[in-house]
Amino acid sequence: MTEKISRRDFLRLGAAGAATGVLAGCTSPRRWVVLEPFVRPPEQQVSGVATWFATTCRQCPAGCGVIVRLMNGRAVKLEGNPEHPLNRGKLCARGQAGLQMLYHPDRLSGPLLQSTRGSREFSAIDWNEGINRLFQALAKAGPAVAMLGGATMSDHLFDLFSKLLAAVDAPPPVIYDLYTELGGYRTLAQAMGQVYGRAALPAYRLAEADVVFSFGAEFLGTWTSAVRYGVEYGAFRSQPYGKRGLLVHFEPRQSSTAVTADDYVAIAPGSEGLVAGALLRLIADGNLGLAGRAESARGLAPSLDVEQAARECGIPLEALQRLARRFADAEHAVAIPGGALAGSSNGMHAARAIEALNVVSGNAPAGVNTTPPDLGLARKSLNTFADVQSLIARMRAGEVQMLLIHSTNPAYELPEAAGFLEALAQVPLVVSFGAMVDETAVWSDLILPDRSYLESFGYEVVSPDFGSPVVSSQQPVVTPVFDARTTGDVLLTVARGIPAAAAAMPWDDEVDYLNQMVAGLPEAAYPASTAEEKRARFQQHGGWWPAPAVAAPTLRPQPFTVTAERATFDGNETDYPYFLHVYPSVLLSDGRGASLPLLQGVPDPMTTIAWQSWVELHPATAERLEIRDGDLLRVTSPHGEIVAAAYVTPGIRPDTVAIPAGQGHQDLGRFARDRGSNVVQLLGAALTDEGGGLRWNGVRVALARTGKRIATASLESKVGVTEGLGYE
Amino acid sequence: MSELETRLLDRGQSAAAAPKTELPSHKWTMLIDLDKCTGCNACVVACHVENNVPIRSEREVIRGHGQHWIRIERYWEGEGDAQRATFLPMLCQQCSNAPCEPVCPVYASVHSERENLNLQVYNRCVGTRFCGNNCPYRARQFNWFAPQFEGPITEMLNPDVTVRSGGVMEKCTFCVQRIRRVEEDALVEGRPLRDGEMVPACAQTCPTSAIVFGDRSDPQSQVAQRLGGQREFQVLEHLGTAPNVYYLKAGGSDGGAG
Amino acid sequence: MAEQASLESPVWNRPLPDDPELAAQVREIREKHLLQDARPPREVAEKVLGPMARLGRVFWLALIVLGGLTATWLATWAYQAYQGMGVTGLNRTIMWAPYIVNFVYFIGIGHAGTFISAALRVLKFEWRAPISRAAESLTVFALLVAFTMPLIHMGRVWKFYWMLPFPNQRQLWPNPRSPIFWDMTAIFTYLTCSMLFMYLGILPDIAIAREKASGWRKRLYTVLALGWRGTDREWKHLDTTLNIFSYGIIPVMFSVHTVVSWDFAMTLQPGWNSSIFGPYFVVGALYSGVGAVIIIMAILRKALHLEYFLREEHFNAMGKFLLILSFTWVYFYFNDYLLPWYHKEPILTVIFRLFTSGWAAPLWFTMLIANILIPWATLWSRKVRSSIPALVGVALLVQVGMYIERYLIVAVTLGYPELPFDWAVYVPRLPEILITLGVFAFVVLGITVLSRLVPIIPIWEVVEGQLLQGTRRIGRAIFPAKTEAD
Repeated sequence: MTEKISRRDFLRLGAAGAATGVLAGCTSPRRWVVLEPFVRPPEQQVSGVATWFATTCRQCPAGCGVIVRLMNGRAVKLEGNPEHPLNRGKLCARGQAGLQMLYHPDRLSGPLLQSTRGSREFSAIDWNEGINRLFQALAKAGPAVAMLGGATMSDHLFDLFSKLLAAVDAPPPVIYDLYTELGGYRTLAQAMGQVYGRAALPAYRLAEADVVFSFGAEFLGTWTSAVRYGVEYGAFRSQPYGKRGLLVHFEPRQSSTAVTADDYVAIAPGSEGLVAGALLRLIADGNLGLAGRAESARGLAPSLDVEQAARECGIPLEALQRLARRFADAEHAVAIPGGALAGSSNGMHAARAIEALNVVSGNAPAGVNTTPPDLGLARKSLNTFADVQSLIARMRAGEVQMLLIHSTNPAYELPEAAGFLEALAQVPLVVSFGAMVDETAVWSDLILPDRSYLESFGYEVVSPDFGSPVVSSQQPVVTPVFDARTTGDVLLTVARGIPAAAAAMPWDDEVDYLNQMVAGLPEAAYPASTAEEKRARFQQHGGWWPAPAVAAPTLRPQPFTVTAERATFDGNETDYPYFLHVYPSVLLSDGRGASLPLLQGVPDPMTTIAWQSWVELHPATAERLEIRDGDLLRVTSPHGEIVAAAYVTPGIRPDTVAIPAGQGHQDLGRFARDRGSNVVQLLGAALTDEGGGLRWNGVRVALARTGKRIATASLESKVGVTEGLGYE
Repeated sequence: MSELETRLLDRGQSAAAAPKTELPSHKWTMLIDLDKCTGCNACVVACHVENNVPIRSEREVIRGHGQHWIRIERYWEGEGDAQRATFLPMLCQQCSNAPCEPVCPVYASVHSERENLNLQVYNRCVGTRFCGNNCPYRARQFNWFAPQFEGPITEMLNPDVTVRSGGVMEKCTFCVQRIRRVEEDALVEGRPLRDGEMVPACAQTCPTSAIVFGDRSDPQSQVAQRLGGQREFQVLEHLGTAPNVYYLKAGGSDGGAG
Repeated sequence: MAEQASLESPVWNRPLPDDPELAAQVREIREKHLLQDARPPREVAEKVLGPMARLGRVFWLALIVLGGLTATWLATWAYQAYQGMGVTGLNRTIMWAPYIVNFVYFIGIGHAGTFISAALRVLKFEWRAPISRAAESLTVFALLVAFTMPLIHMGRVWKFYWMLPFPNQRQLWPNPRSPIFWDMTAIFTYLTCSMLFMYLGILPDIAIAREKASGWRKRLYTVLALGWRGTDREWKHLDTTLNIFSYGIIPVMFSVHTVVSWDFAMTLQPGWNSSIFGPYFVVGALYSGVGAVIIIMAILRKALHLEYFLREEHFNAMGKFLLILSFTWVYFYFNDYLLPWYHKEPILTVIFRLFTSGWAAPLWFTMLIANILIPWATLWSRKVRSSIPALVGVALLVQVGMYIERYLIVAVTLGYPELPFDWAVYVPRLPEILITLGVFAFVVLGITVLSRLVPIIPIWEVVEGQLLQGTRRIGRAIFPAKTEAD
């Protein structure tokens, strides 16, 4: 592990490589880290005294600031960075588990070569060879290179990838992963674009709201930034002068957000937009609420029969009227669209209908994320599923000679119907930058493992709020544990051999890149006089943010129309009697957390099940099909089938079954492998009506018992908590 | 006064200030506002990491050996389709009148009057599990097997906290290692502890700040200020265990009506 | 004493009355009562010592089977200590179960020895003489097993001595507030007393055996007899010591199971926290103990051909005891249920209903049938009490019932703490089953081996009892009576 190669040796190796017409890493000596023995400890390391470093969490795309506690050079605890405007010192379960990302026993040490794809027979090669292979392939492929990235990829890496691809005239990277799809990031941003002319993720200041209507937005569990909304929610519940905000949540299944809501309404799946439309209609027709609300609603409300709408949504009309009055009467009412509605056939319509409620509310503390253009920073933009489909089409047509994959796991995350693996067979070289062997790495030829986020540099433009931009800094906090190399440096090394790329990427290494980026940032909340100090403070404080929070730009709604109808679902009612409600697991998220024992072994809050996946069904459904907890069910949709264990719970509608995403890995390390089933296999690859999103919230399923049964790994006593002994 | 404390005092500014012989006593108290608990499990994971609590395998969880110092208990309220889940974070209640203490034959479960803590001395524990049985909250966790940390995961073990061996009972300590640290820091700096200086891992990470921790004997502390409201209750209060973990009932803010 | 009797004709040579009717009566009395049916001491001794030395095929077979099971117990224990307590079916709610059930059960049957030897000795129930040693040996082996149970149960058994008060430089002492400390103390005292009590009683018999034995047995008995010669002085000391022990051991007996009950009664566990547990446990212990002695008696009678010593009268008397103890036990048992049923505390109601109609109902009703219904339905009849197979059957049922009763208290009730989130069910796994089988085998093995090593019938007590018995004639009837030699 100790890289005892001196710079001279390294250059010699590089020269030897160059002789065969290749180019190896002439990286800057400043990047070399040598493990030091404790007899000569680094200056800041005192035995028994902790040192703290600030960096950015990369367990999900949100980009919370973390501080890492180091004891004797080992990272022992992650905590939220109290200065960081996004998470304000707090951290979620996934963030807390980040250390296992760093110290995972199945991380790769050094590049791997796979002779036959899917064989899982890897041969270790050294880094020079790995980089040379990448370079040669890149030089050969010309513009026929494609890149598929995930939303947790650092923004600087996205910039480097983009520049490299642009230099070889290849199309820009495609950024897509299941996490952002389940969160509806792209669709909601598009809807914001239609309503306000600014296509960015919506953001809300719950602390300033009186009434929050959440349309399936699990903002306390998984949606966008659970930590930021957790902090906001805490303030929302105890506002000044004893005021307490009211939360109403609409969802077919009780999520942890539904549990904490004051009013939970179990609406029919896919009816979020219809509920919003009916609320608008009721406000408009009933002349409800504060002055101006009804007029505003009259301009937006879709024409619909509220009685029929209430029936379709599964809500009594009286309840709907009460809710409409409550929303209209609140001074600061806000409506939040969730991920599930964005994945419905009518996702954009629903999102617009919900945003119309915010327009009606008038002074809703809502807005959209912004990156002030004057920062001049590169920032990832997410692609739609339609973009992924066109990439797959290009691959299938043989137009892609080389596919680069970073921080996403398409082999696991894309529905089979998308045809990703078939198309992959047409790509001569697949390069994965995964730190572990995941499902996609198994189908690639070359693995150049990237370092974990606690060992690498980077930055992330996060917008915790609308208005004030934040650049979160990422820096290595420990000496690398494995012989992995940061992808940024690999790319810069490779670029040196491609003249166009070398011109576009003139940096010695990624640190050089980041230093120049930081130098361009305006004045921050903390003082820094020299450029050197600015750089140091940027890393010390964990990022850059302006001193007084920039006032939110006022959003002016553009004219838009609201239509309200229920989403359509694949499969007919007789063959597939149940709606499938897919949701990202609070702990495993879209599946990337499945590799960590800390997230696998901690019980899910709603079911208290650890290590397993399950199908949530209503007791009435269970009774009808004679299903008990732990019965293995064959869940069939028009697109596929999986086998998963039953979990009977009163927290779901009788016409719906819910399956969390996250389990069912075939790879991704020893803790994830062969555990539960992957709900994505039930999904089709159809697009939503508008916006090109994956219509993942739109299948019906059938249930059948397999006759087999497993023991449920739950913490709760089902008898005690749910069933009772039958005589209470 | 321990030797460490003596040495810390010796490092103090003046000799005149030194003869402070005892560490100040505290009434460490935790307040959990159920109105803010979202069941997100951040506290659970933070506790595992901070206190080296092992993660048990699927097989072990099935056999009822799941091991968490703090867990989110999910209950159902109401009838039929109106049933709503509620969360109750459950951890060692640090009872002032702890049922686990008198039953331990070897004094592995002992009380610290000074800190208002119920301590577990791991290396004294012989594993009779009497304390575990007698805990009405079932907050005590037994190491049914020796813990396993695979590969480099051992690197992330907190050196301030023992890794317990198999056959030993363990439980939430209110992050006593953090209490020690801030106490010693304050001692060296010759000042009293500040409210909010001592934060256990769970309260530190709690996104909604549902968990509040502090010294009840300091009337200015946040816990002392928030105690005594209408929403306050203790779990299984009728048993007379006098817990030092207080809960605030969901459905109302501090100032408003319950 | 022997001299007094030999003043007239020897007691085993007493002539029958001339009157044939009276003679028939005397014959009947002699047939019924062991102590009236005197034989020459040499013959009595031979009846005990003879079968003892003859080790038949059955004995060796039993030795192999029981020894194998005992070895399995020890091996399983080693496996469990090496792997961790997790190999058992215990879980985070039910942290006690199999071994504590065994512990309570074996302490329970350990009460019988003391009850029969010491309490009946004090009360001068002379008929108990031939039973007493079998009962004592049951006590000793049951207590040995009971003593190991908490050790097997411990998470770190290699640190068990930390529970003992021994001087150490850290000045750490056991916690006197913990019932476990008093468990240790009480059981240790009880075990020591029981062993000494038993050994004292064996001394004269070993001396007799020493005279008759040869080879290794001779050498063994010579050592074990501690030079007993049978002088008046020795008899006098023995008698005094046994009396002191008898009086002293009775309170210890009562305390032991009371202390054991505190393990439960002193906790906050609903269903355990009950002030009646002390006497209730003691009576339950005697109940199962007397039942166990009946079974041991029947086995020994068969295996060692002790028909002369163990007669109908003994089984009949033990049957009566069993019935009386059953009555007493029921009184306490339902007292323990009446109050919870009356005041309807929710969690106690849950447990009560779990027993009456929940998953534990089959166990509970089996227990009631075995402990109450069948003993009450049968034991009132002298015919049943005198029939050895019938009585042993009932006694076996009582064992099953009492084991289930302990299982319900420890392993089932514990699964229902106040917070329903933690409710759990205990399901035994192979290690507990093997260990439980092994300890039962060990107790039987111990008695089997002991009965071949030392006279399992106290020869001297029987002979002494016979010396003191006579008959008295009142009119045309003859009654057994004690002579005035006392």
